[in-house]
This record gives sequence, C-alpha cells and structure tokens, in this order.
Amino acid sequence: MRGGREDSLRGKFLRGVLLLTLLVLSARLWDLQIVKGDEMRVLSERNRVRIKKIPAPRGTIYDRNGVVLADTRPAFNLYLIPEDIRDFSETVDGLSGLLGIPREEIMSRLKQARGFPPSFPVLIKSDISMDEVAKVEAHRIFLPGVTVQMEPKRFYPHGDRLAHVLGYVSEISPEELKMEHYKDYSAGDIIGKYGIERIYEKYLRGKDGEKRVEVDATGRETRILETREPVPGNDLFLNIDFDLQRAAEDALDGKAGAVVVLNPRNGEVLALASRPSFDPNSLVSGLTDRQWRELISDPRYPLQNRAIQGRYPPGSIFKLVLAMKALEDGLADESTSSFCGGGMRYGNRFFRCWKEKGHGRVNLHRAIVESCDTFFYQLGLRLGIDRIHEFAGKIGLTSKTGIDLPDEKPGFVPSTEWKLKRFHVPWFEGETLSVAIGQGPVWLTPLGLCQLAAFIANEGIVFRPRVVKKIVSREGRTILAFEPETLLDVRLKEKTAKFIKEATSGVVNERSGTAYASHLEDVEMCGKTGTAQVASLEKGKHLGDHAWFIAFAPRDDPAIAISVLVERGGHGASAAAPIAKLITQSFVNKNSKRFLARTQDSYAR
Amino acid sequence: MLDRRRISHVDWATFGLAMILVAVGFLNLISALSPSYSLLKKQVFVFLLGLLALPVVTLYDYRKLAEISLWIYVVVLCLIVLTFLFGVRAGGARRWLNLFGMNLQPSEFMKLSIILLLSQRLHEKRALGVKLGPRDLGVPLLLILLPTALVLLQPDLGTAVILLLVSLSILWYAGLKPSVYVALGLLGGASPYLLWEYLLRPYQKARILIHLNLLSDPQGLGYHTTQAKIAVGSGKFFGKGFMEGTQHRLQFVPEHHTDFIFTVFAEEWGFVGCIVLLFLFLLFVYRCIRISESASDELGSIIAFGIASLVYFQLTMNLFMALNILPAVGVPLPFMSYGGSALLTILLCLGLLMNIQVRRYMF
Repeated sequence: MRGGREDSLRGKFLRGVLLLTLLVLSARLWDLQIVKGDEMRVLSERNRVRIKKIPAPRGTIYDRNGVVLADTRPAFNLYLIPEDIRDFSETVDGLSGLLGIPREEIMSRLKQARGFPPSFPVLIKSDISMDEVAKVEAHRIFLPGVTVQMEPKRFYPHGDRLAHVLGYVSEISPEELKMEHYKDYSAGDIIGKYGIERIYEKYLRGKDGEKRVEVDATGRETRILETREPVPGNDLFLNIDFDLQRAAEDALDGKAGAVVVLNPRNGEVLALASRPSFDPNSLVSGLTDRQWRELISDPRYPLQNRAIQGRYPPGSIFKLVLAMKALEDGLADESTSSFCGGGMRYGNRFFRCWKEKGHGRVNLHRAIVESCDTFFYQLGLRLGIDRIHEFAGKIGLTSKTGIDLPDEKPGFVPSTEWKLKRFHVPWFEGETLSVAIGQGPVWLTPLGLCQLAAFIANEGIVFRPRVVKKIVSREGRTILAFEPETLLDVRLKEKTAKFIKEATSGVVNERSGTAYASHLEDVEMCGKTGTAQVASLEKGKHLGDHAWFIAFAPRDDPAIAISVLVERGGHGASAAAPIAKLITQSFVNKNSKRFLARTQDSYAR
Repeated sequence: MLDRRRISHVDWATFGLAMILVAVGFLNLISALSPSYSLLKKQVFVFLLGLLALPVVTLYDYRKLAEISLWIYVVVLCLIVLTFLFGVRAGGARRWLNLFGMNLQPSEFMKLSIILLLSQRLHEKRALGVKLGPRDLGVPLLLILLPTALVLLQPDLGTAVILLLVSLSILWYAGLKPSVYVALGLLGGASPYLLWEYLLRPYQKARILIHLNLLSDPQGLGYHTTQAKIAVGSGKFFGKGFMEGTQHRLQFVPEHHTDFIFTVFAEEWGFVGCIVLLFLFLLFVYRCIRISESASDELGSIIAFGIASLVYFQLTMNLFMALNILPAVGVPLPFMSYGGSALLTILLCLGLLMNIQVRRYMF
C-alpha cells in the first residue's frame, strides 16, 4: 500500500533534510569551537578569573625611640564593579538607600572611572563602619556589582602632631598618574603626598600582591586560584625625639610659629614643629572638594610647614653674621667699640636703637649680649652689603639645607647686584643699616637659622639636616642608615669661633643679656634673640613683631641647636627664648645620664 | 497478550539509542546541577516512572489508543486551561500545575496528544490516497490552533511554535492539495507580520531585534546569548572535561539546566562530543522515520512521523538557539533538558514507537 513513488521521494527528501541539518550544525560548531575556540576560551577565562590587588601594608614610621608615628590599620572600602552591575539604577538606588550615600555622588564616582576596564573596581566609599559592612553583606544578592574589600589604611595615632614632617598619603590623582615619576602606579593606588611620606614613598610603599580569584556571574568570589602575597613596605626610624617634639608643639600651642631642634654634631633633626597644624587622618580618608578648598584657603595656612617654608626677617640674630664676618676680616676685635646714644643719624634719617636712652659705649661683646643696634649700624656700614651677602652665602644661609622634606625654601640676603637686577636702581647705603639688624629684605627660615645656631655651636662645621635616621625592612634588616653628611666646613679663625660662642653665652647667662630670663641653672645655654618688625598694613594698627630665638647647649659640648619663631609673638626675649629654655630643659632632663657621662669625660680629658 | 514474537521484534537499536541519549542527558545534568542534586532526584524519579509505563505503552495496541485520542486531547486541553486558574508561576509564565508536589507541564503532553489526534483523523484519507483540500482542513486546524493559542497565552512561545510545526508536518505528511500549499504559502509569507503585530510580546520582539543586530542592547538582553556562545566556543576541540565547565557552574549561562543545556555539554565535551551527540540525535530521528516507513498501517506511519518531526524540531530549534543562529525561544532539548513532563513525553513517544515497530508485520 505504501512505498509508492511519492513515498520514496518523500523519504529521500527527509534524509536530505537530516543530512543538511547535520552539515549546518556541524559547520556552526566548527566555527564556534575550532575557528573561534581560542578567542572564546579567553573570553570564558576572563569571565571567570579576576585579578585582585592586595595592597601592600605601608611601612611603619617610628621616632628615634620606637614610638609609632604612622601606622597601618585595616579598613573596609566599598567598591562597585561596573561589569557585574545588571541594572545600574537598581544597584545605585539600592546602595544609596542602604548607606545613605547620595545618588549623585555614586554616579559621579562611576563617571570618573570611565575609560577603565569595566571589571575595574570603582571606590565608592572608603573606611565604612562594621555596621555598614554587615548591611552590605546582608543585601549582597540584591546588589550585584557591590563588593567590600579589606585594605590597609594609613593611620596617624598622634593626629596633628608632627603632621608637617610626616605628611600624609592619599589616592593618586589623575594628573599624577600621567607623570613619568609615577609610571609604576595605577589608578586607585595610595601615594605619599606630603612630608616624608612623599620623600620616602619608594621605601614605604612595598610591593602590592595579587590574588587570582574565580568569580561567578554576580562577581562573588567562589575560590582563590593563586595568591602572590604583598611585600610590606620598609619601616622608617626618624631622628625625631617625639617627647621633644611634643614639648615644642605644646610650647607653640595656640600660636603660629615653628621650632626646629637639631643635633649640631650630625644634623639629626630632633624636633621640627610648625603650628597651626592639620590632622593628616582626615586627608587620608579623602576630603570633599569643599573641605579641601576650606583647608587651603585657611588664612592661617595650616598646611604650610613654617619651619622650612616660612621666611621671616631674622631681626637681631643677623647681627651674629656681621660680627663673625667682621672678626674674620679683622675689621673688628674684642676691643672695638662704639658709642650708642639711642641711635644714629644717617643721611636725612635717624636710625634708632631699640634702647631709646642708648647703651653708652659698647664693645662687640656687649653689642651682641645687649643687642645694640647702633653698634651694628656702624659695623654694617663698614662691611657693606656685598660682604654681608657673600658671607651669608658662605655659611649656607642663602641655600637650601637639603633636609629630607619636600619644598624647602632657601633663605635670602640682598646684594647690590640683586637690587640692580631686580629694581634697576642702585643699592642705597641706608638700606644696609636695616639689613645689619636683620630687617628689610632679609628672609630666613627657622630651619636656616637653626643651622646658623649649629654653625656657631660646631665652630664652622654644618651637617645636612636629616629627619630619617634609618630604613629597616619588616624583618628587621637595615636597608639604609644615613651617615652624617657634612654640608659646610668653614674654617673660622679660632678666635672668631671662641668669641662668638662667648658672646652668645653672654646673651643668656650675663645679667645684662637680652635672654637672661631664660638662663638655665644646670646647663650653659647660648643663644641670640631677634625681633622682626612687621610692616603694619594699616596705619596705626600694629600687628605685632615676629619673635625669634636661636640657641645651642651645652656651650662646650653642644648636643642641641634650636631655633624658635613665634609669629606676631612680640619680643624674642619674652616670646621665643622661654620656649628654647623649655626645650633645652626637657632635653637635658631626658638625657641627663648622657650629659653627666659626657661632662665627666671632658673633665677626664 | 504478552507475545514472545513481539518482544523479539522490539527494535532494540532504537531503544538502545534512546537509552544512550537518556544516559548522556543524566550525565550532563549531574554537571549542570552540581552541587545541588534535588532536581536530579526528581528527574530520576520521573525516568523510573516512564520506564514502568514503557511496557504498557508498547504493548497496548496503538490503534486502540488512537481511538481514545480525542479524550486524551480533551483532558490535556483542560489541564492547560487549568494552568490559567491554578498554575504555578515561574519566570513570568504560568505553565505548570502542582500535582502531589510535582510540577506538571500539560503543554508538553499536548505535543504527543496532538500527534495522536491528527494521525487518528487523517490516516484513513491517506490510506485511500485522498489529498486534503481546504475543506478537509477546517476541523484539524481548529484542533491545532486551540491548544497553540492557549500555550501562547501562558506565555510559552517555544511550545506553541513546536505544536504548530509538528502539526503542519503531519498535515504535509498526510498529503495536501496544491491549493492548500498556495494558501499555506500565503499564510506563511504573512505570518511574520501577523506574529509581529498581534502575537509577540515586547521582550520577544526585543530579543529578535537584538539577534538581528537591529537594536542596541543597553539592558544586556543579548548578554545571555553571548554567554551561551562563549560557553560553546570555549569548549574548543576536546572540551574542558566533565564537571569542568566554568560558564554554567559560575552562572554565566542562564537556564543552563533547561533550555541552554546543550551549552553545558558543548563546553565540557568540545567539538568531538558535540558531533557525536548531534549524530546520535539525528540517527534517532532517522530511526523514527524508518519506523514510520515500515509501519504496518498509515496510522502507525503518521504517528511515527509525527514523533520524528517532534524530536527533529525540538532538537534543531534548541540547537539553533544555543548556537545563536536563531533568537532565543525556549524549547527543551529532548532527553537532555531538565524537566519531568518533557522526559515523560519523550519516553511515552519511545513506547509508542516501539508499539508501532513491533506491530510492523501485522495487519
């Protein structure tokens, strides 16, 4: 009945269809699995495997005695991975509702990350609380693309103390990313932005690790395939003595100013304070644009490190420079004297001495001890501005000291050449009189003047100031220990060195000395006061003078050199010298054993 | 009743082929469902149930079964209507009835039911060599369109398309007058328009447009098909190995245990495995056609042909979708996809094939 011609035709047709089907599907399978197979395998691996960075913990920063100054603590950071987001508005709204982060903020952070691969995590909020972590984890399945990662975070346990020296870290900026210097960095990396965090970045940073993880379609980690552990950064030991630092900062409390304490024997920076200060912890978390603008436009400039960037006329301290130069050149000796009647007339102007009734007849020693202006007006005229300029340069006042902190400013002392070049007018001798007492266009930093104190203490040898003592690996191996580096070795005449030491001692220890009130019983501190007049901007409104004091102690075996600046503090003797006394006192108290040993030692010699 | 001769006449080759496919299907499901095997247990249970039903379906004469085909049809149709009232909702569709804790998908049984019913109504005309004219097609078309429309409303586009294709192949096999070809040709030409305007839902339209690259894909509707393609392609020549497929294990391929089950197999067994599997499937369809050709009567022949077309169209539509040749329309892969009703249906089909086969010399 069946099996007719039509049926056999139908049979052939059906067999043909089956064969064609086999061919078409085989061809497609060939195309996908053989021709495009490698490409598809790569795509499937890229789906599956994600490389996650394990940030290296940054090196710890200690003071010279092992006090922790900058540490690392675990923090939870919230990220969005655009690739894993299924529904943008759902995830963004969900996250916004859950943690109260404004929707626009999330969107703007996502927008900033455009141009990065979609599997790149975008930081939405750093350092979220444990409560927030719990909330996010509980709602994870409803928020595909949201992940929380534990990462080490910089922590400064002492808040605003030593902030200018330590500096701070924060996320690398798009501009920095483009710089050659940061070519090894990628977006999202944390870098040192200021202070030694910036200078010693390459030692502190360590080497980030990597984790190859398998993730599922919602971005959840299913297992770890491979881990390369991070190499922690190296630890820094500073020369800073945190006790001394604290004493210096407390002395400046509520004021604007700076204190620098050096060891004149090797350049170690024992304390470097600048006030007002800022809390680096707030900068690590990332400020909002408004907070940042507020900080940098603060009229008190809390971000400025006054100790190395603030330049002020040195006032009477500058007299030491003239005295040394005059002694060196034989223009003056201990017997040189002048008469001070409360000032002197020069040209058509009367230059006053600070002591209105005058010092009477003064020799060089008394002129320094009692800080007689008249004497130095005359000495200045005899030296001339260019010799002053030359000598200031010779003893390092007009160069950077080369301290291991960023953006140090050099000091400035004028010359006739400078005046001509800058203003196209010749130098007037009258201007030399101002410079001779450290007024006018003479600007020095507290660090520069501390080096001057060290110069006198050490009789002409000055070391490069160093904040960092040594770099030590996490295992305790010393990577780098900084040796004292001689910056200047000015061969002063022995007579000059002795004389100037004697005079600075007199400032503090003789009854007529300007800083006699700040003398110490158990240690012979030498010093010089300075009061820099500040030109009042408004007539009749005196803003207050800058108070200066430099010191070193003890006289015969100097262990510390100090400079103190108090902005608008008034007289150096009353506002700055007591701070130096306090610091010396606390230094002596702390190191009394050593002092005792050394004194005995010097007797034995 | 139990005749020795019948047992010796059983087409063990076709049966064996089916069992191999079932075995491959289970093996593949073990990987697809890992690590949670509660669904696998259900599937095994359904398989054992089907195995028990197999001798009954084989031995109960298909001619007697065909006589009650209208009743079977009515019962299955009622079950489909019930899905609208008591259906279990999943993925935006109501296709299932909850029966003693098992989810039953009546539309799967409709596939077999419509084959039986159409064969019953058409075999005599074919036996007489009468070609079907427009007038003869009125009732059959009504019987076809009724369940097709209901299934489409569930909505279940895939099953509706299969019902339509299988039914049309049976009509074609029964023999059609030239005028009907013309009419069907016209309808076929107009159907894309009709489908587009009246029947397709927005998400289905979007899928088609994305497939044709006419619509950009901001919400990632094409994501699933891309991931399916990656799964298949990443299998390369020898595959990643059993249980080693990452695309499905890590949930990148959606519906990987049902409509996209083939991607799991392709990823783990590679080009070699795929070609072997494809060959086994087409061999099975070929065996169905052979049974159809050797059936002792037109009724058996049409039923066997209907089953052949059912397996063929499900296979091709599923693979075309999994390999991204056609837009994603959910159709289960016979023997392989998870789903009790589909497995039971294919086992009943197998029983019916055996039934027809053992009676090939009897008149």
